[in-house]
Amino acid sequence: MATIDELYANKIILNAVLPLVKVVVEDKKNLAKAFKGKNVKIQISAVDSSGKVATHFDIQDGLWTVVKGTTEKPDLELEFPSITAFNNFFSGKSKKLPRIKGWYKIELLFGTLKSLMAMGNLLSLKKPPNKTEDKELLVKLFFYLLSSGISQLNKAEHPDVSKWAKRSPDRIYAWGVIGKPGLSAYIRVKAGNTKAARGEYTRSKPFFTMRFDSVDSALGILLQIDNMIEATMKSRIIMEGAPEYGAQIGEFMTLVGVYVS
Amino acid sequence: MAGLTYTMIDTANLSTSELYGKVLCDLGEKHPEIVGLSADLAKSTKIGLFGDKFPERFFNVGIAEQNMFGMAAGMAKAGLVPFASTFAIFTSMLETANAVQAAYETPGPVYIRINRGFDQKLYESTEYGFEIGKAVQMADGTDLTIIACGSCVFQALEAAKILDSVDGIKARVLNIHTIKPIDREAILKAVHETRRIITVEDHNVIGGLGSAVAEVMAESGKACAFKRLGIPDVFSIIGLHEDLMAFYKIDTNGILENVRELMGRDFEADENWDDEV
Repeated sequence: MATIDELYANKIILNAVLPLVKVVVEDKKNLAKAFKGKNVKIQISAVDSSGKVATHFDIQDGLWTVVKGTTEKPDLELEFPSITAFNNFFSGKSKKLPRIKGWYKIELLFGTLKSLMAMGNLLSLKKPPNKTEDKELLVKLFFYLLSSGISQLNKAEHPDVSKWAKRSPDRIYAWGVIGKPGLSAYIRVKAGNTKAARGEYTRSKPFFTMRFDSVDSALGILLQIDNMIEATMKSRIIMEGAPEYGAQIGEFMTLVGVYVS
Repeated sequence: MAGLTYTMIDTANLSTSELYGKVLCDLGEKHPEIVGLSADLAKSTKIGLFGDKFPERFFNVGIAEQNMFGMAAGMAKAGLVPFASTFAIFTSMLETANAVQAAYETPGPVYIRINRGFDQKLYESTEYGFEIGKAVQMADGTDLTIIACGSCVFQALEAAKILDSVDGIKARVLNIHTIKPIDREAILKAVHETRRIITVEDHNVIGGLGSAVAEVMAESGKACAFKRLGIPDVFSIIGLHEDLMAFYKIDTNGILENVRELMGRDFEADENWDDEV
């Protein structure tokens, strides 16, 4: 039986981390090649006492769609025996491979594992990658992960996050890098509901934006290399909005990091 | 007296009409072309101070406001600078001083509304950047904007403080002291940045600040949650200024009640709460 903290971590991995595979595949041509023209369904799941939890990828003509929950007949399935085993594998605590259904579809299996590893390698970096495009991709992945991770914690009724969301009027919290709108992400919060979304929020100015002056500055904070106070003083990170709300969202960002590490 | 938050000691500091009369006297000394007109309200509107100082340049037309403005227009056409005073309600003390000064410096007719009595102090000096047609941002916030004028600006600021400390709501407060020309830029910025606008005026909600703000928004094509607070389209009841403000919900508590209601309104049609993947 998974603990409540394992369930929170599982929600984040299933619905905030695994969807990032699609982002990585769409960004890396060598990964996308393995799925070109394919119509397949790939499922990653864990068996729980109350059933099976999963996220699956519906690939049509090589284009990926992430679907939360299970699908009945996946072409390939990585099935973990428990939520604990699932969490440990994706947080890097265990290298124990899951049961692989459809293993004989070698090309699909290799392509899937390669994509999962590419995402895992990027997210587990301790220092920024060398290539500019990898730096930008990593910032984008972090922004997507953090916005979705906070939203998933609310949906899983994490006490601190759901208390914050319940008390909130309709507000937008955003993350961005100056001059790089394609990396942005945001979360909408309203009376107990949350929704993570990608790109810039353009309907109005968000209630709060954590904006970085460059991709390097963003990675300095996201990879926990730089000091937050020093970065703020040097305007490498700009808090647009009330500082106390910046501190609050910062705490939730850390919380997401704790659950996935 | 029930409802009053001012004391007699405050009144010397707060009377807007007293200040109006004083500034007009100062301007009268420097500018001989200034003349004063009253519709039998010289004492109440304090233009009588000007009349006492410059009796040859002061005209009491009797209870005939339309005639007063007709005469004023003729005098202006002849090269004089007439100040015609009657009752309406507006503005704070130091704002009054700035408005009277700006009126002299502005070509063409200028209509200024000031309070008969006294208002709370909003500024420490006249040097706060008063400019005809330019709003003054009194507080910043990104949850909603309270746009107010005259005596309601103080109430809006008090409401903003309570909203911050009690509700955690960050309200921007704009003092739009000039209804015409109105500060379109400040209004549209507020629409974009806060998405919720509430106007507060000590005036009928038709044809005043709320209407002017609504016109700017409608022409821009930008939508937002919007509410006008002021005197509804009825014959107003009679009473003390503060009691009337409470009755028509344009005091601090009334603004709080309406802001809380406005914050609950949806501004986005999308009610799909699934995270984007």
